[in-house]
Amino acid sequence: MAFRKSCRFCDEERRVDYKDAQVLERFISDRGKILPRRATGLCAKHQRHLGSAIKRSRYLALLPYIRGYHD
Amino acid sequence: MREYEIVYIFRSSFTPEEIEAKLDRYHAILTRDDRGEVTAVEQWGKRQLAYPIRGQTNGYYVVTQFSADPVIIAELERVLKLDEELLRYLIVLSEGELPIPSSMGEDSEDERPRSRKRRDDDDEDDEDEDDEEEEE
Repeated sequence: MAFRKSCRFCDEERRVDYKDAQVLERFISDRGKILPRRATGLCAKHQRHLGSAIKRSRYLALLPYIRGYHD
Repeated sequence: MREYEIVYIFRSSFTPEEIEAKLDRYHAILTRDDRGEVTAVEQWGKRQLAYPIRGQTNGYYVVTQFSADPVIIAELERVLKLDEELLRYLIVLSEGELPIPSSMGEDSEDERPRSRKRRDDDDEDDEDEDDEEEEE
């Protein structure tokens, strides 16, 4: 990770979209928690946007608040 | 006028026609007297909810983009809150992109080679990472 120069969203020049659950899925743990920056490798800006996006996405039931809770 | 985006989640028992009728009613609030304009409506259709909402496990998703005066938002919300069949809604300022269907297919292909590359490139790097995580 020390070798990662910039983050995925910067590289691909895309926004963090709260509607795109499939993308956000990769940035949450198997229990549904938001992964820390050391695990996502994102820059400060996009990690911040990621947090908001995941929270919106949870509200819309696109992502779980806690994975496995309702099973 | 500002650009907004709204996501509706209706009960999945509705037919597309019934949804359409509801949307028309909501959007009439926005467009009345030329106060706003609906720029795009995208129906995602039925989708499984990540967790049950009011006993429902599925929802019918619709995303709409519109521009309107901020005062109209309050008016719209007042109506939306009264609708029992609307499981949930979210109004946010639009980030200026059209609702595009998830381009996930190409993306996951992107991601996989990259992480593989990282692992192949430098095994020592990986070990460093592990150490770091333990310290924190």
